[in-house]
Amino acid sequence: MTTTQGSGDIRLVDVSKQFGSSYAVKNVNLTIPHGSYCCLLGPSGCGKTTILRMIAGHETPSAGEIFIGDQMVVGKRPVERGTAMMFQSYALFPHLSILDNVAFYLKMRDVGKTERRERAREMLARVQLEHLKDRMPAQLSGGQQQRVALARSLITNPKVLLLDEPLSALDEFLRLKMREELKRLQNDLGITFVHVTHTQPEAIALADMVVVMDTGRIDQADTANMIFNEPETPYVARFMGGQNVLSGTVASRAADLVRVRAASGALYEARPDKAAKVPAEGAPVSLAVRRDRIALSPRAEGGPVVNAVSGVVEATEYQGTYVKVTIATEDGSIFVANVSDDAYFASPVDTGDAVTARFRPEHLHFLSKVDTGAAGDPYLDAH
Amino acid sequence: MTPSSTNRSGWAAYLQVAPLTLVLICFFAVPVALVVIVSFFRYQMLVGIVPTFTVKNYVDLFTNPTTWTLYASTLKFTLIVLVVTFVLGFWIAYFLVFHIRNLVTAIGLFLVCTVPFWTSNIIRMISWRPVLGREGLINSALQNAGITSQPIDWLLYSDFSVVVAYVHLFTLFMIVPIFNSMARIDKALLEAAIDAGASRFGVIWEVVLPLSKTGIALGALFVVTLVMGDFFVVTVMSGGLSGSATSGIFNDLQFLNYPRAAANAVILLITVLLIAAGIFRLVDVRKELVR
Amino acid sequence: MSASPSYGARPWTFYVLATLFTLFVIFLYGPMISVLVLSFQGPSGSLVFPLREPSLMWFQELFSPRRTGDVAGAFGRSLPLALLVMLMTVLISVTAGFAFRRRFRGSTVIFYMAIASLIVPGLVLSIGTLVTFRYLGLSASWITSGLGAHLSWALPFGLLIMFAVLGRLNPAYEEAAYDLGASRWRTVKDVVVPIVFPGMIAVALFGFTLSYDEFPRSWLTVGTKNTLPLEIWTMTTNVTSPALYALGTVTTIVSFLVIALALSAILLIQRRRSTGK
Repeated sequence: MTTTQGSGDIRLVDVSKQFGSSYAVKNVNLTIPHGSYCCLLGPSGCGKTTILRMIAGHETPSAGEIFIGDQMVVGKRPVERGTAMMFQSYALFPHLSILDNVAFYLKMRDVGKTERRERAREMLARVQLEHLKDRMPAQLSGGQQQRVALARSLITNPKVLLLDEPLSALDEFLRLKMREELKRLQNDLGITFVHVTHTQPEAIALADMVVVMDTGRIDQADTANMIFNEPETPYVARFMGGQNVLSGTVASRAADLVRVRAASGALYEARPDKAAKVPAEGAPVSLAVRRDRIALSPRAEGGPVVNAVSGVVEATEYQGTYVKVTIATEDGSIFVANVSDDAYFASPVDTGDAVTARFRPEHLHFLSKVDTGAAGDPYLDAH
Repeated sequence: MTPSSTNRSGWAAYLQVAPLTLVLICFFAVPVALVVIVSFFRYQMLVGIVPTFTVKNYVDLFTNPTTWTLYASTLKFTLIVLVVTFVLGFWIAYFLVFHIRNLVTAIGLFLVCTVPFWTSNIIRMISWRPVLGREGLINSALQNAGITSQPIDWLLYSDFSVVVAYVHLFTLFMIVPIFNSMARIDKALLEAAIDAGASRFGVIWEVVLPLSKTGIALGALFVVTLVMGDFFVVTVMSGGLSGSATSGIFNDLQFLNYPRAAANAVILLITVLLIAAGIFRLVDVRKELVR
Repeated sequence: MSASPSYGARPWTFYVLATLFTLFVIFLYGPMISVLVLSFQGPSGSLVFPLREPSLMWFQELFSPRRTGDVAGAFGRSLPLALLVMLMTVLISVTAGFAFRRRFRGSTVIFYMAIASLIVPGLVLSIGTLVTFRYLGLSASWITSGLGAHLSWALPFGLLIMFAVLGRLNPAYEEAAYDLGASRWRTVKDVVVPIVFPGMIAVALFGFTLSYDEFPRSWLTVGTKNTLPLEIWTMTTNVTSPALYALGTVTTIVSFLVIALALSAILLIQRRRSTGK
């Protein structure tokens, strides 16, 4: 009766999905290890939901293979895959009671009425909703509906739980609460969770593995820590929100110090860590620096300064533990510094002030792709 | 809550429904009430309606076996047509909503189904003559193909042709409300059912059918009242061989016997209302409509 | 995005249902087309196929009153009557639709009265209207009792369509208009009507054709002068020439013109909206 057999790791091999002449997903390769919590992260239209639906069996790939455990699942019915999907709208059957919603899977397997209701009741007890079993879905709050949807998915005893923007319909308080519950549940069950979201904090808080997507491609798949601290591409650095991206050409490279000359004439000195791939001298390169690794001071006069960006404060935004200072730089781009509130209030700056932002060589991180600027990158200005 | 309800008392609403109410009272409530009243009046040859209370009209009708035969025949047609139009309407709506992937195509095909509705019923009825008649298209095709040597008589002026005409005229009344109900079903519900292991027909039986209930009820309501209230299709298409509940009314009117025609109309009205009430009991149509 | 269609292989049920659908469309249009073709029957042709020496003679015959009754006169009554019913249906059912967006005392009674009016057999209503006019000492005529009888059937239909249309009208539009300083009248004129306009065209189309094609409700209520469906009805028993088909073709063409007009109006509005012009 149980469908849990084998492991729940998921492999996508050269998977593409075409709608008409346009690609929703193009040549994606991805392995999600068994028992991990994986978040597919990206803006709407990036193909993350299409990937989820292909894993679930609600879309068929145009090309490529999908494995769950060691089973090739393309062409298999959803119920044969050992996956369960939680829909964004929850998709609770409006004509069935809560209990019958949860018991639906058992009904489809011709489990007798008494037994399936008993098992559904147990499952509802696990999500603390047993007392609402005779209600109709429309009579439940959003949070309760979601727990019912969860119970309905879990009763299938899945190897993989697929969640399509599960928290997007909840208010902030419930969202944080459900986030914790999902994480705990995944720990308890030990099965694979694949969770689609467009909000970065959600992905960072939940995931063992974050997959950042951009228009049908995977930009980076890694731990939350790596994605956040060592983004590989300018897109990831910007999309995750915590980084400034700088570009230039390699002026000189030594074992422990690389100099990069920006088009504006500014000079950046970086200490690449062991793994970083530093391009050859004269090659274009992009660097990222975290917003909270920046020191602000009044505009420095005089000669050129290393590892500094000068500009005019465009906006300041108080965030509780820090202050977000947005600077319009001399070459017309945007640079953001998150200054701790102690440091900020020690020497406050205001809109219109001329400032210089400084950062240390060890905090400059080499990106594997060169920044191509604003074209096709909607997050360039999303500061 | 609409803005109007916050800063305005109810009289605006009454003003807005006043014209509708007026028309309904003058041309529905009063006429129907008068039909009921006249049904209890006496009829006298050459004089017409005599306003003295009597139940004779009803006694006449209930003791006349013809009444029962006509009602039995009408109910038989109603049932057959209901089943055929439901089966056709349900599957056509299902095809348009769940099998046509392009919304524009679906709407276009839906319009193709609805266009004949806007054309004359009588013409559509008559148009079966050159198709079903003894020398009609079907008979000549069958004979040319050598399937039959004699023209088939029961194609036209028979119960068969009556049912064909009803289905031709009324299937649309099933398709439209069912299509409307189905179009509102969240596609994720179907996927959720498939996830749970429901087969193609499991999904239809467990999800699509219950969620199309309102549309089916409305469609059934239309078809039942249209067939029960029909006199003309059954007369033309059966060649006068079959009658309907309204045939009795028609005959009485020919003799200007308004009281008995009215009594017959009241019986018909009650029958239709009972069926409608039954349908409304099953489904709260208003809740679904005003939603 | 999640509603994107799947481009996998079509299931076998698709082909079964597509066949059913095609057969249904043939069933729907086949007889009408045969009438259309046969209305061009020549002098030696009969009421059935084949078509011999195609001609327009039956159309000419149609409008010579000696032979086939007063077809031109019937057109002359049916068209204005249908236009009047159309106009009144739009005005009355649209305003009533707005009233039903709120709960008010008596709304349920009026709603069920409208539904009952929709399902009461036409002939019953026809008798009732005739008797009512008798008792009032009035004589039935197409423009008085006929109009009322048609409205009693067209209005509930219009109301149902307005329920569907207004159900999708978000009250926030009106609230936004009030917030922006629009008066009640300007809100209706500049915000609500443009939004529900396609729905109003649908109501108009219903109003027109329900009246133009109505038979049972017209039967006793139009008085001594027939409307078109009654004229056709008389012809089905008297006329045994393809002139009957010619009349069918003419009325169908009128219907199609009206449908085409309504649909292209709706399409035009939608296109204008989507292109922002």
